[in-house]
Amino acid sequence: MRRTKLKPSPVHRILASAAMATGALALAGCATKPPASDADALQDYQQTNDPLEPTNRFFYRVNDTLDRYTLKPIAQGYIIVVPTPVRTGVHNALANLSSPVLFADDVSQANPRHAGDTFMRFVINSTAGAAGVFDVAKSLGYPPHDTNFGITLALWGVPAGPYLYLPFIGPSSPRAIVGRGADTVLDPFTWVPRGYGLLTLNWARYGLGIIDLRASYMSDIDHVKASALDPYATFRSLYRQNINSQIEAARHSQDASPPSWSAQPAP
Amino acid sequence: MHTLITRRTILCLTAAACALAATARSSAFAQTSGADGFIKTFSDDLVAIVNGPDPAAQKKAALGPVIDRDVDVAAVARFCLGRFWADASPAQRTEYVTLFHHVLLNNISGHLGDYRGVSYTLTGDSAQGANTLVGSTITRPNQPPINVQWVVDTTGTPKVVDVIAEGTSMRVTTRSDYASYLSQHGDNIDALIAALHRQLDSTS
Repeated sequence: MRRTKLKPSPVHRILASAAMATGALALAGCATKPPASDADALQDYQQTNDPLEPTNRFFYRVNDTLDRYTLKPIAQGYIIVVPTPVRTGVHNALANLSSPVLFADDVSQANPRHAGDTFMRFVINSTAGAAGVFDVAKSLGYPPHDTNFGITLALWGVPAGPYLYLPFIGPSSPRAIVGRGADTVLDPFTWVPRGYGLLTLNWARYGLGIIDLRASYMSDIDHVKASALDPYATFRSLYRQNINSQIEAARHSQDASPPSWSAQPAP
Repeated sequence: MHTLITRRTILCLTAAACALAATARSSAFAQTSGADGFIKTFSDDLVAIVNGPDPAAQKKAALGPVIDRDVDVAAVARFCLGRFWADASPAQRTEYVTLFHHVLLNNISGHLGDYRGVSYTLTGDSAQGANTLVGSTITRPNQPPINVQWVVDTTGTPKVVDVIAEGTSMRVTTRSDYASYLSQHGDNIDALIAALHRQLDSTS
């Protein structure tokens, strides 16, 4: 009898061990807390909430070097070689594959509108959209959105915790790591049994996902690196502000208005 | 007699309060609608420059007067230096603000240089303390739309004091950049000024 024991794919196991290695290394390098006599510096320290700054900066330099010689050139090549409509199609297909996770996140955020949008988008785009390549659902009144379990945890009142900069992954926090773990568990593709071709799909999906993400932030990252005096601190600030605005948007997205595909009340 | 005076006084007071409330409301309305019109003119000017056929250097030269007219550069510079502003000497402050002005213009023209075929729609305004937030959505071909909020100081002549793109504030980000640079360089404002000089030399 064939063994179909549910096991996480190697991709996710590598990610998990990388996260654990970071945890161990992080304990090694801690920032020095300013003395209570220097009130301004102490306030800055608390606001920054980056007690592992030396370790984080080390991984920032590692990632930055890796990015410069591997990921960035690959993403640049991807932009040059692959025409925009194809890249949009790849992006759409990748987003479509994330729909089951996104649906679970929408439900965990008690957001029926978003959950309904995600469900309909998955059904429409997987069929009429040719396996998600074309975003047909958008024009039918089911707009795309994005969220993750880290945002759910924030809505449940879980604090972000200190700033973390992870190897390969980049800006993060304990809350975001737990959220990422939950999303991995919620993803049906994590549980693809061994011996199927789907495992290859998982690797391709993961690799393409990274290139797609890097390519979409190409000019933004270049601008930050060119204009910031301390790019590490600038990325930290941008990451935090962005997460907070996503949380605020998720909190206020429960509008009582009818969806665009239903009958609209007279103004 | 006493009752009459009291009643009349109350009537007068009520009338005065109503009049005051009405003035306050109309001036509040004038304030936010003023910010809307102000941002419309500002955005129209920016979009006209960005979408124009001129080369990057000429676009940058055209942006300068628009930024000077509509952005309170000195206030933004002060905000970005945060608690270190109080420690800076008058000479340091002057040099820093002048440098900041050039850096800001470089960054804005660097950002907008990549944009083509830009259009925008205003999505309404809301009060935020003494400031007014004017929302807008910027659309570019083959790119997802960007939500941009302009923070306008409406206490005097309307001036832009911040721009918030997809929830990230330009001045908050710059302030944490400078604060971190200063803490890495012994809180030395001259080191920051030197770094800004180097940055200007490398980008212009």
